[in-house]
Amino acid sequence: MTTTPILKIEDLRIYFYSHSKQAFIRSVDGVSLEIAKGETLGVVGESGSGKTITALSILGLISARPGVISGKVGFQSDRIQKNLLQDLGDFVKLTARDGKIMEVSKDVAGWERNVERVMSRVRGREIAMTFQNPKSSFNPFTPVGKQITEAIRLHTSTKTEQEAEERALAWLDRVKIDSPRLRFDNYPYGLSGGMCQRAMIAMALASEPSFLIADEPTTGLDATIQSKIVDLLVELKCEIGITTMLISHDISIISRLSDSVAVMYGGTVFEYGPAKDILSTRFESKHPYTAALLASIPSTKNIKEKGYLQAIEGDVLDTINIPEGCRFYSRCNRVTEKVREKCERQEPDLRQTEAGHNVRCWLYFD
Amino acid sequence: MKKYSQISGEISEFSELPFWKKADVVDLVYVGYGLLIVALVVVSYILGSFHFLPRDPQDIDLQLMMAPPGTAGRLLGTDFMGRDMLSRLIVGIQAYFLPGLLAIVVALCFGTGLGVLAGYRGEKFETVITYFTNLVDSFPRLVLILLVIAAFKPDIYYIMLVIGLTNVPVVASLIKGKIQFLKQKNFIEADIALGLPTRTIILKHILWHHCRSLLIIQATLGMAEAILMETSLSYLGFGVQEPTPSWGNMVQSGANYFMQGKFWPSTAPALAILFTILGFHLLGDGLNHILEGKRST
Repeated sequence: MTTTPILKIEDLRIYFYSHSKQAFIRSVDGVSLEIAKGETLGVVGESGSGKTITALSILGLISARPGVISGKVGFQSDRIQKNLLQDLGDFVKLTARDGKIMEVSKDVAGWERNVERVMSRVRGREIAMTFQNPKSSFNPFTPVGKQITEAIRLHTSTKTEQEAEERALAWLDRVKIDSPRLRFDNYPYGLSGGMCQRAMIAMALASEPSFLIADEPTTGLDATIQSKIVDLLVELKCEIGITTMLISHDISIISRLSDSVAVMYGGTVFEYGPAKDILSTRFESKHPYTAALLASIPSTKNIKEKGYLQAIEGDVLDTINIPEGCRFYSRCNRVTEKVREKCERQEPDLRQTEAGHNVRCWLYFD
Repeated sequence: MKKYSQISGEISEFSELPFWKKADVVDLVYVGYGLLIVALVVVSYILGSFHFLPRDPQDIDLQLMMAPPGTAGRLLGTDFMGRDMLSRLIVGIQAYFLPGLLAIVVALCFGTGLGVLAGYRGEKFETVITYFTNLVDSFPRLVLILLVIAAFKPDIYYIMLVIGLTNVPVVASLIKGKIQFLKQKNFIEADIALGLPTRTIILKHILWHHCRSLLIIQATLGMAEAILMETSLSYLGFGVQEPTPSWGNMVQSGANYFMQGKFWPSTAPALAILFTILGFHLLGDGLNHILEGKRST
């Protein structure tokens, strides 16, 4: 991490207000991440840990009415440099009574205008995103090739429709869709899940962005296709060297692609550092949650030894009633008597334990 | 591998058949008949507006009153004042053609606009628009039309404006429902993330790709309804007034002689109404099956 980061998230907080419970759902609660140019950051965590919400906020797609955002997302590429969350606080008004938030009023129109203004020339052109469900992310009534062509026409300097179509074809070929000329005219329902994912990646990359967010690129695919998609991503990473934020709950995919890894839980980052440190099984200072995640990778060795699939006990954190102490305390299996009191009472902060390696756990603090 | 791609090639070629080859014969007949009627109406309208008629529709010929169809020079006979029925039928189209188009345009434009606001922007807009549509729906349409006639004058354009406005909720709720359905699939979100301007998303990706067949169908049904409204009001004497011919007032004035065995002055326009409205309805129905059914596969 020597170069200036292309994306720098500082203390990002995204709360959704629930009217029925009169409380905030704290989906993302103080996330700070950095992604250097050309690097791949893997974000891993269980469902509901705030991975996708973080990604959506980068592109200003948190438009759900009660959403409140604070923090800073600094984006800096060769062409553009801005804070993507600029002025969003001005459009939200909180009414508090007796220490409880009674009402959240939001100037939705103003908010959206502002997002539109900040995001122009960023969405698609600078930051592209592939979504969890590629099939429904394509317009079902338009041939896939046409949609890729549209993205190319919008964001690159291609002069004619023909040229853009040629490029789209080249991209379909590049993501290894067989007989791209036929697929070009196919509607999304005519493509399989894996092909759709490939086409989605082609569409995201076709506009030559400097930053790619890949949200769960392998969900809903079988193991063979999963590994092929990962192969493709590895290849593209080598060829284009695009900066990527890879989101997955599958730690084995993260391990194959990432340079650095952020482990998220309950809306916060628990561990953050170079991938080779975090994902190796030997590394000393490791958060209990990361260790548990690694232990629950299904492998023949694990199954043979234990006779069952390891899982993490308990449920994912309820982000409305966040406990006083460590968020993982109730599920943690490595609490020692020495730190128990601290774990229960006080939330640890993300501290650097070694060069570039950050952990949020009392076990490693003296 | 090669074999596989060959097979998939055939499949994809099959699925790219032009839509008329995949459609039901019945639907094609419907649409064919409907298009024929539309063509007839349009051609007759143009002929009528350039006075390119067999005879002057206002020309009273007292020598030839109630001449039966087939009389020399008068293909459909004459009415009780000796005016040529065929010419009057053709000119009668002018009574509903432009007003009907006005009704359609009003219904589609406002309906689409409100539908997009309610479906795409949601929440507050949706509430307001739902109340508005309920309000409009709760008025009996005929009463509203008679009110307008009483307040202003029995002008067909006012009536059609009212018909158009009362059709707005129908179109709006259809479009709203469609957009809400589409928003569940996240391609709209993907479009936004791709950086497409809102204008393109709404006009191209939502309205053009997903709502155009719906709008065409609404237009044909709207036209049928406009014709029916115009003719029934003219029949009741609220619409187009004599001596300007309209199919409605022709049926009405001819009805007095029906019992005397002189059926043509009322039957000819009545059949014209029947076949025209049938044509528009079948056109809408057939298009509905062909355009909407095509995508459900």
